[in-house]
Amino acid sequence: MKVLAAGVVPLLLVLHWKHGAGSPLPITPVNATCATRHPCHSNLMNQIRNQLAQLNGSANALFILYYTAQGEPFPNNLDKLCGPNVTDFPPFHANSTEKTRLVELYRIIAYLGASLGNITRDQKVLNPNALSLHSKLNATADIMRGLLSNVLCRLCSKYHVAHVDVAYGPDTSGKDVFQKKKLGCQLLGKYKQVIAVVAQAF
Amino acid sequence: MMNISLRLRRPPWMVDSNGRRMTSHFQWLSLTFILLYLMNQVNSEKRGAPRDLKCITNNLRVWDCSWKAPSAAGHGTVYEICIENRSHSCYQSEKTNTKIPALLPGDHEITINRLYDFGNPISKFTLNEKNVSLIPDTPEILNLSADFSTSTIHLKWNDRGSVFPHQLTVIWEIKILRKENMEIVKLITHNTTVNGKDTVHHWSWTSDMPLECAIHSVGIRCYVDDPHFSGRKEWSDWSPLKNISWSPDSQTKVFPQDKVILVGSDITFCCVTQEKVLSAQIGQTNCPLIHLDGENVAIKIHNISVSANSGTNVVFTTEDNIFGTVIFVGYPPDIPQKVNCETYDLKEIVCTWNPGRPTALVGPRNTSYTLFEFSGKYVRFKRVEAPTNESYQLFFQMRPNQEIYNFTLSARNPLGRSESTILINITEKVYPRIPTSIKVKDINSTAVMLSWHLPGNFAKIKLLCQIEINKTNSVQELRNVTIKGVENSSYLVAVDKLNPYTIYTFRIRCSTETFWKWSKWSNEKKYLTTEAIPSKGPDTWREWSSDGKNLIIYWKPLPINEANGKILSYNVSCSLDEETQSLSEIPDPQHKAELQLDKNDYIISVVAKNSVGSSPPSKIASMEIPNDDLKVEQAVGMGNGILLTWNYDPNMTCDYVIKWCNSSRSEPCLMDWKKVPSNSTEAVIESDQFRPGVRYSFFLYGCRNEGYQLLRSIIGYIEELAPIVAPNFTVEDTSADSILVKWEDIPVEELRGFLRGYLFYFEKGERDTSKIRGLESGRSDIKVKNITDLSQKTLRIADLQGKTSYHLVLRAYTDGGMGPEKSMFVVTKENSVGLIIAILIPVAVAVIVGVVTSILCYRKREWIKETFYPDIPNPENCKALQFQKSVCEGNSALKTLEMNPCTPNNVEVLETRSAVPKIEDTEIISPIAERPEESSDAEAENHVVVSYCPPVIEEETPNPGADEAGGASQVVYIDIQSMYQPQAKPEEEQENDPVGGAGYKPQMHLPVTSTVDDLAAEDDLDKAAGYRPQANVNTWNLVSPDSPRSTDSNSEIVSFGSPCSINSRQFLIPPKDEDSPKSSGGGWSFTNFFQNKPND
Repeated sequence: MKVLAAGVVPLLLVLHWKHGAGSPLPITPVNATCATRHPCHSNLMNQIRNQLAQLNGSANALFILYYTAQGEPFPNNLDKLCGPNVTDFPPFHANSTEKTRLVELYRIIAYLGASLGNITRDQKVLNPNALSLHSKLNATADIMRGLLSNVLCRLCSKYHVAHVDVAYGPDTSGKDVFQKKKLGCQLLGKYKQVIAVVAQAF
Repeated sequence: MMNISLRLRRPPWMVDSNGRRMTSHFQWLSLTFILLYLMNQVNSEKRGAPRDLKCITNNLRVWDCSWKAPSAAGHGTVYEICIENRSHSCYQSEKTNTKIPALLPGDHEITINRLYDFGNPISKFTLNEKNVSLIPDTPEILNLSADFSTSTIHLKWNDRGSVFPHQLTVIWEIKILRKENMEIVKLITHNTTVNGKDTVHHWSWTSDMPLECAIHSVGIRCYVDDPHFSGRKEWSDWSPLKNISWSPDSQTKVFPQDKVILVGSDITFCCVTQEKVLSAQIGQTNCPLIHLDGENVAIKIHNISVSANSGTNVVFTTEDNIFGTVIFVGYPPDIPQKVNCETYDLKEIVCTWNPGRPTALVGPRNTSYTLFEFSGKYVRFKRVEAPTNESYQLFFQMRPNQEIYNFTLSARNPLGRSESTILINITEKVYPRIPTSIKVKDINSTAVMLSWHLPGNFAKIKLLCQIEINKTNSVQELRNVTIKGVENSSYLVAVDKLNPYTIYTFRIRCSTETFWKWSKWSNEKKYLTTEAIPSKGPDTWREWSSDGKNLIIYWKPLPINEANGKILSYNVSCSLDEETQSLSEIPDPQHKAELQLDKNDYIISVVAKNSVGSSPPSKIASMEIPNDDLKVEQAVGMGNGILLTWNYDPNMTCDYVIKWCNSSRSEPCLMDWKKVPSNSTEAVIESDQFRPGVRYSFFLYGCRNEGYQLLRSIIGYIEELAPIVAPNFTVEDTSADSILVKWEDIPVEELRGFLRGYLFYFEKGERDTSKIRGLESGRSDIKVKNITDLSQKTLRIADLQGKTSYHLVLRAYTDGGMGPEKSMFVVTKENSVGLIIAILIPVAVAVIVGVVTSILCYRKREWIKETFYPDIPNPENCKALQFQKSVCEGNSALKTLEMNPCTPNNVEVLETRSAVPKIEDTEIISPIAERPEESSDAEAENHVVVSYCPPVIEEETPNPGADEAGGASQVVYIDIQSMYQPQAKPEEEQENDPVGGAGYKPQMHLPVTSTVDDLAAEDDLDKAAGYRPQANVNTWNLVSPDSPRSTDSNSEIVSFGSPCSINSRQFLIPPKDEDSPKSSGGGWSFTNFFQNKPND
């Protein structure tokens, strides 16, 4: 398990405040009670689909904006610098059941949300004047938070799943700047690739 | 090498052998001597004496002397070393060296011999300091450390200074070796001074290559530079090498990481890797690889350029990956510029500055600023995240009772630091905040109390405040006030010299007495001052009513600066012989009163009243001094006003009054008036009511002994315009060569200026054909008459052509321009004399011809009879002469010969055509054919039916020949045969044309008027011609039943009994249009016949 980023902790506190932050969350046993603080939206799956479509629609632009802001030679060496070779990325099986897909989606979004927090933090230090990039990163993170909440609501309301084991990407706070740039680029490349598959699956 | 000489002094055995050889022969002795010497040498070696004495020192205190032991010396040999000239000091040593205290300069004899070994020679040496070598001990590195982040090596060693007897200089040589093959990358010397005690020295070196890239080794040696030591000084041996190495993990890394360097620097990057590096690049630029140990490579960048915000990426590419680092290239902070410290409230100091040249470094590498005060207090600049328009300012809390501040603003970033200082007296750097809470209180009608709030503690200084006073339609006023500062921030100031009942707008700004900056202006505060009594009476004027019974008093409302409040009413009173009678109180806004007064000289007073009191009265005399010598003058203004001037008149003791009104209005007429001082001689009258093109009447009154006298009456325009209507004109009389035109005046309202004249244009032209073209285009055929005599109302235009249509145009003009035009078409009358002449001449000619013909016929009657009329057979037998009874019924006198078919003879017809004035144009309605007398009956055999056909002549056809002939005929020849072509004739003519007639045509037409008045003339004409038609015209209308045309009932057949010429007749048609009489004829007219002047 990677070290939790500073940006991830508040996210987890919000989402799992009852259960504490930072500890792996096992899938709730089927017979366990599951309650949401607010009633879920009646058309939850549509909302999830819309949010996925929204993310899918903006992922490429975010990717381009990101690697452009990192300077040369990033735009000309995308295969080696921004290739989606993120080893510990949560898997997704498009042909599995909805419950499994939702659980996997939850893991993916949690992973992406944490990584996006790291990227946003790093870019604010590294590129303080790249306001459009910051804006796009924040907007994407906002949608992911909403999506995460909706997926959890769906899991809880339909499948009585309240807790899902999640894993997070590497913390970049101790890494050198080039590593931060490269990891961020790889993550966003992976995000662009995965979100297209996930959006298609729902 | 130390060079020590060893001298053998008369060894004993050598002395013995020399004594024996001296007794033999000299040569033998010489050879023997050499042989013996060599043998002695060999024996001496075998038997042994110490030799090769060498001394060195490493501390200048002790010399370490060593020598070579003889071969015979065995283990346990003890040497005795004696220094002869030093009180015979001897030292014993079992080794071949010994340490002796350093000897004084000069030669010293040293003897070395082996103890307990008798018979052995004693070695003697002469030892001098010059023969001693000074070789310091090998230095030892105490510590070697590395700062990888800065690529710096730190070296630490001990100089062992305590071993030296006195202070001296030591030179250290340090070498840096790199990579496994020990390339020397740095060799430096470092001088130190030793002073008798051990000292640890430090030395640091920054590598141009990151220390992680390769192994670095360090060695050191020294050299003692003692100027008092005369011996040989040598470098010590190198210390053992010590290494700096970085233990890499398995991951490939690029160094240096996240380094910040100065623009233009040289830097080396290396990649520590296990993989083979294929290429390296900085940004987009490829760089040549420098191979280090193993697979490690490096690149060297010279004169590196400035980075973008996210830094410059340096990458090394391997087979399947890219590794890299980021370098941030920028500038050290510039010296803070325009540092300014001031205070808003004497509680807090705010310092602002301009950072100067950008450093190109952002985020954590950005410049940090710290403001230090001399007292030691400081504040640090905190940067807002992602600033857009970063303002560089710091707030510093003031210290009590401190006025002088010495600030140092320090700027620092990873590449360096800079600073700027400023010394200020803060009481002279006060920039007050905006005054707030502006309040106004009344003191009286001309003074108010102004209060405001100014945050800050200004108790120790004086404030200079500026009050801006604005009132409507007035220039703004600025008043400066100096007030003592207070702690509670409330300030109060009295503002006087204001106008009563006036809306003022106040706003305030403040500074300090020692001016630095004005504060921003406060918000505006509007205030209405209280009322006061009106300062003046209203401006009055009076007019007598049209019937002269009532006096109308007019007055103007007081301006706001004189009314001093809201005027409620006006009191009108009149006085006669100092008896005052209050007449009425007129409420505002009525500004006139009508008084019924007799013709006495009253003084009328008008007083304005407001809530506070009444104004001084305005007085005006009711009577007007008559002026018999009064003329109406004209004046024209300047567009926005009119200037009136008059001569100075000392008799005028009070103000002149100029009143004016629209001159078209009825009396009493008053639009406005204006009073000017009695010493004035001119006035410009301006009013918003003035309009261009409107006539105004101006009356100048002089004031004399309280009575007004009308001095001048002026009519004028502010601006003259062109008339808007054309003068109405009519044609009074028309003759053959002249037209009399009469016009009327244009009304004043439509004239719009002083009439300067009329322009009269005339040209030939008819209504339909002559369209009105531009009159001012300079056309030569337009005649223009400029009538500047305004009293002239008629105009006779002479020298015109008779029976000609003329286009007349009349327009008026003022100085403002030309008015519209009015046009008319008039046709001049016919020239009767010319007409008469044109008639008489052809008639006379015809009569003469007739008479001559008659005479000839009479004289040659027999010959004619024989030739043309031989004996006539009995007509009773001729069937051709049988008349049809039905045809001849009712008119037995008419009989016509018929020959059918009948081929007409070719007859040439002579026709005249003349122009006739159109005004009495005569149109040929029908051709009239006259039949000769009964002689046709006698010509039964050869009778011919001849039709008369008048020629068709277009009216428009020009007839230039007629001009020269003065109304003479134009001869046109027409083939009679062609007249049988009915389609070639106009329809009208077909009706009138006798179809069956042909072959003869009268040689001229004579005008025959149809009017009764002209009947007499017709008779005269017939008589004068001496030739008459042979029968009544009406009786010629016969129909021949055998004629091919007789079947056409619509046709009128005109036959002639004989081929004799006759008079043809035409009828004059009177003109129908009175305005423009013209010919209604379509083809042939007398207008053309008499036309002798072409239009064009």
